[in-house]
Amino acid sequence: MKFGRRAFLQFAAGAVGGTLLSPMPWRLADDTAIWSQNWSWRPSPERGPITTVPTVCTLCQGGCGIQARLVNGNRAIFLEGNPVHPVNAGGICPLGAAALQYLYAPYRIEQPMKQTRARGEAAGFQPISWSEALDDLVKRLARLKSEGTPGGVACITGSRWNSMDDLWARFFSAYGSPGLFKMPSHSDSLRATAKLALGKDSPLAFALENASYVLSFGAALVEGWGAPARMQAAFMRWQKNGAGKGAAKLVQVESRCSMSAAKADQWVPVVPGTEALLALGIAHVMVKENLYDADFVSRGVLGFEDWTDMQGKVRSGFKKIALSAAYAPDQVAARTGVDAAKIQGLAREFASTANAVAVWGGGQHNVPGNIYHEMSFFALNVLRGNLKSGGLVSLVPDVPFQPADDQTAASAEGGAPQVKLGSVPGTRVPLPGNGIYGFLDILTRGMIPPLEVLFVHDANPAYSLPENKIFKAALDKVGYVVSMSPYMDETAMTADLILPNHAAFEGFEDVVGLPGVPYAYYAVSRPILKPRKDTKHSGDVVLQLSKALGGNVAAALPWASYEEYLKNRVNALAASKRGAVADKKDIDLSRLQSSVSVSPNFKDGTDLWKKLTGGFCWYDVPVDVRSALDTDSGKIELAFRAIQGKGLNVEDDQVYLPHFKPLPPSGDEKEYPLLLLSYGMLSLSCENLANPPFMTKTLWDFVLKKNDLFVEVNPSTAGPLGMSEGSKAVLKTPQGEVAVRVHLSQAARPGAIYMPQGLGHTAYDEYIQGKGVNSNSVVEVQVDPITGMGTVWATRAQLRRA
Amino acid sequence: MKEEKKSASGKGVGGIFFFGGFILALIFGWIVFPNLLFSEKAQPLNFSHVAHQDSTCDQCHSFNPDGTYSGIPRLDNCVECHESPMTSEESERILVEEYIQKQQEIPWKVYAWQPDNVFFSHAPHQAKNIECTQCHRDVSKEAKLPPYSENRLTGYSKSTMKMIDCEKCHAQMGANNNCQVCHK
Amino acid sequence: MAIDLDRCTGCMACSVACQAENNVSFRADESDKLRSITWLEVYHLQNGKEYPDYQFTYLPRPCMHCDSPHHSPCTFVCPVNATTRDEVSGIVNHIYPRCIGCRYCIVACPYHARDFNWWDPKWPKSMESMLSPEVSTRMRGVVEKCTFCHHRLLKARSKAYLDGIDPNEATYVPACAEACPTKAITFGNLLDPESEVAKLSKDPRAFRILAKLNTEPKVYYLSKHQWVHKLGDNSF
Repeated sequence: MKFGRRAFLQFAAGAVGGTLLSPMPWRLADDTAIWSQNWSWRPSPERGPITTVPTVCTLCQGGCGIQARLVNGNRAIFLEGNPVHPVNAGGICPLGAAALQYLYAPYRIEQPMKQTRARGEAAGFQPISWSEALDDLVKRLARLKSEGTPGGVACITGSRWNSMDDLWARFFSAYGSPGLFKMPSHSDSLRATAKLALGKDSPLAFALENASYVLSFGAALVEGWGAPARMQAAFMRWQKNGAGKGAAKLVQVESRCSMSAAKADQWVPVVPGTEALLALGIAHVMVKENLYDADFVSRGVLGFEDWTDMQGKVRSGFKKIALSAAYAPDQVAARTGVDAAKIQGLAREFASTANAVAVWGGGQHNVPGNIYHEMSFFALNVLRGNLKSGGLVSLVPDVPFQPADDQTAASAEGGAPQVKLGSVPGTRVPLPGNGIYGFLDILTRGMIPPLEVLFVHDANPAYSLPENKIFKAALDKVGYVVSMSPYMDETAMTADLILPNHAAFEGFEDVVGLPGVPYAYYAVSRPILKPRKDTKHSGDVVLQLSKALGGNVAAALPWASYEEYLKNRVNALAASKRGAVADKKDIDLSRLQSSVSVSPNFKDGTDLWKKLTGGFCWYDVPVDVRSALDTDSGKIELAFRAIQGKGLNVEDDQVYLPHFKPLPPSGDEKEYPLLLLSYGMLSLSCENLANPPFMTKTLWDFVLKKNDLFVEVNPSTAGPLGMSEGSKAVLKTPQGEVAVRVHLSQAARPGAIYMPQGLGHTAYDEYIQGKGVNSNSVVEVQVDPITGMGTVWATRAQLRRA
Repeated sequence: MKEEKKSASGKGVGGIFFFGGFILALIFGWIVFPNLLFSEKAQPLNFSHVAHQDSTCDQCHSFNPDGTYSGIPRLDNCVECHESPMTSEESERILVEEYIQKQQEIPWKVYAWQPDNVFFSHAPHQAKNIECTQCHRDVSKEAKLPPYSENRLTGYSKSTMKMIDCEKCHAQMGANNNCQVCHK
Repeated sequence: MAIDLDRCTGCMACSVACQAENNVSFRADESDKLRSITWLEVYHLQNGKEYPDYQFTYLPRPCMHCDSPHHSPCTFVCPVNATTRDEVSGIVNHIYPRCIGCRYCIVACPYHARDFNWWDPKWPKSMESMLSPEVSTRMRGVVEKCTFCHHRLLKARSKAYLDGIDPNEATYVPACAEACPTKAITFGNLLDPESEVAKLSKDPRAFRILAKLNTEPKVYYLSKHQWVHKLGDNSF
């Protein structure tokens, strides 16, 4: 028997038959199909029970209640609005929705780093331990203090609506340096205005939810003004009547058809920078036609009628100024580009509609404005009687932490934290506000004693400070730069030492008050996860430094940890027996009245802490402006009495009063025939947080294409320059030159160029770096001569084909 | 003649070859192949269901309030009783020393592990009074975990249910059989 | 679903929440909108007039889950039944492992609601930790689109079963509607005449995009501007 070819074939046939009768082929086919669906290189998200943890968002100042979804309690996968929270009622902004991308960002700093080569060299950063880093820093601080030059230490922080603000102030006050500076914000202006007119060092607040007519002078109301989610909720309320007929009328005065203008019931296009002139034109009509609240103004306002200054000299009042020919409708019409009849119409509508309020918002998104202009907008509210008790304009209330604070802290407070620039020689301005630009200016020119240590906390000035080269130039004069950023941002790149803070949601934080919001607000943000990197909360760093420095510094900051310090503050808050916790759904904080106090629904500090860390917020009634007034005259002051004798030309009565006085941009109009304005979008993060990839995905391809940024230009401006949609161009301002592309848009006013803020990062990763141009590198800052604050409204520019 | 003989013998012998091939293939396909296809993997430690009979099933296998099912309990459940060893068994030592003390989840091999794109909810099946044992093995008298057979090709467990089983039952019960009812 | 465009402030929270909820992948350059994967794309509409009569609005566009008889345009053309409409929930879904990547459905969809994975989705390593296990990640060569957060419906139904409620009464909200800070997006059962969304669909401001194609989209838009209604019917 030979196993020949035939036998083999027979054997094979048998084997095939047998195989077909066995499960093997079917099983193999099936399993191969399943195997083909295994894409092993594709991530397979870990499964597990999903839990929800409520907390409060601290990415911006908006104070939104949020909840995080966690898998297995240790992996955060989603952030959503907390439906019980009164500020956002379940809604969230895009930054909040994308917030976990910061927590899991690849550009997070793993541990403390020290620059071992020249400043700015990425390869020079070497990891060091926390104890090494802090020891080194303590030595420097101790030496400066013992040498009697504590002024050689300064800090730039972005914190203003949380307790880090207070902690830094205590530290600098006890250490003895005036060098605590904050990143600019529009609330600086609202604060300066309130200080001037009401004598209170708190920013103005607007009860916009209760308004039925909102006259907005360039305020980016739905694009991030104030507390963003609260504004979205207010906007929703204005729209609420249904059938497209809103409960409130929104009038937006702005040169560009921004989102707020597009959403407004009426858009009033003006020549850039003339919003205040239009406000004064409206005031003119109101005064002339007797449309103002004469009773309120005559009893409660100083400086409307003629007034007597401290030397007994009679000065003209706002009434005279407003009635002057310069603010007559036809004059204003000629300069603003708004019809005289329309101005009159606006004035009459504003004066006659119940619950009408004027709001405003700085030239560049969230930057202080010219104080004369701020006061002009404010004056409209005065004329309208909005500052009466229960009126639409009041102050952001203080959160009562004081009573139970221990003695040392109280003395630190009493020790006058003179952290304003006014105390730094050579920078005297009549009414000092945020002094960061003055500080950087002195620093660049050479400060005595020299600045040896600069902390940068919660801020990225190398990127986000308007005219950021001012910061970069000043940096050369700083001995030692300490960045506390959790991320490798532009400022961290230029640091000598990086002490990485926790990312948001990894440590205890709080929110103290909400910008532009009339009710008192306090919230604690509890961590949702353990820190993912070897980081330390900056508050803990400050406390550890204080402890190591010893003496009065340690005594002024006696807490073992930032968490304990917050608990201490919450205890104080509970001891004040004021306010209540919003622990139920549908609590409408906009209905709170200053005259009707709320009764506390918490037992003691421990109970309050428990409620706050459970994601609920504390609130209290608004401030009654009348009783809060703290001016010399006891009235609301439209005249800037305080500037007298501060070196200004006091002959001119106008100097004391709101009037139109634009700060001229530099550069020759012939060389730079156009005006550059930057704009913010809620979907493009522009401050110390780089835009997360989720949000970058939503950018239009006429804002960013590949790495090219588009500026908005009206076709009638671009046409004569030989440009069409998408043309490559060079944008030149006195500050510098950048390559851009042109987007033709009828939203743009002819003669102006509009540039988005938030692009053009040079640090971070491939998802962020090199995309577009940083608007802060081409805009120009004009320092307000009265407050010393850096304002930004427009920059002269030229656009030419590339 | 020669030819005839040859063919005759060829036929006979050929039948043997054919039959041999047939039988061998059957043996291979039915007996050898299944053993080749699956590799046996050990569980990280033994779990005796019998030893836990003082607890009810849903003390460990329970529904979460959001309607999801806990499946295999997590370490927290074990810690409730096994903070320190209760017996001197080896598996208990592993549990306490390797996992509880190190706070590490036990990497159980799940007998019914489904791919990522499958959505399965126990709640509707329980509501329709389907017994656990209709899909899972009966563990009520089980002292030792059965070996975990991993399909070498697909990487899934031998006892992972396939789509056809789901579809069949859904059809019989008149349940919705649209793709998205079970896929995510 | 009903989307009130008068309330929409173009903040993009809906689109971002959608991406986070559904494990939508992103790439370093997302400016090529033909290659970008976005389930909830937001469109920019403008009235075509000159400054200062210019106006614009944003229009968030999820999948319309077309209700046209028997088939949606996309389900009709799918050769492998990878995309089907569940006649109980009315939701059109897409099963990734079943998809063969022929992209007929992309061509068939008049709303550009579908995107194709030209590449394997890739996340920065550390961001893989924020992927949700409730939605499976896709692979190169398949189509994906908005599911009205169908996994949330499944979860809501599970909970209803557990709580002994009729699962067909289970309600849920997709991530976009939940995120919207102005509550411009209303989600509910269009077949229930008492529901908010059904009432909104009969509002005089309501319209549907490309209604003339008789695809019967289940997403209604509301706008007080007639130019928006007009654009909704001839441009996309």
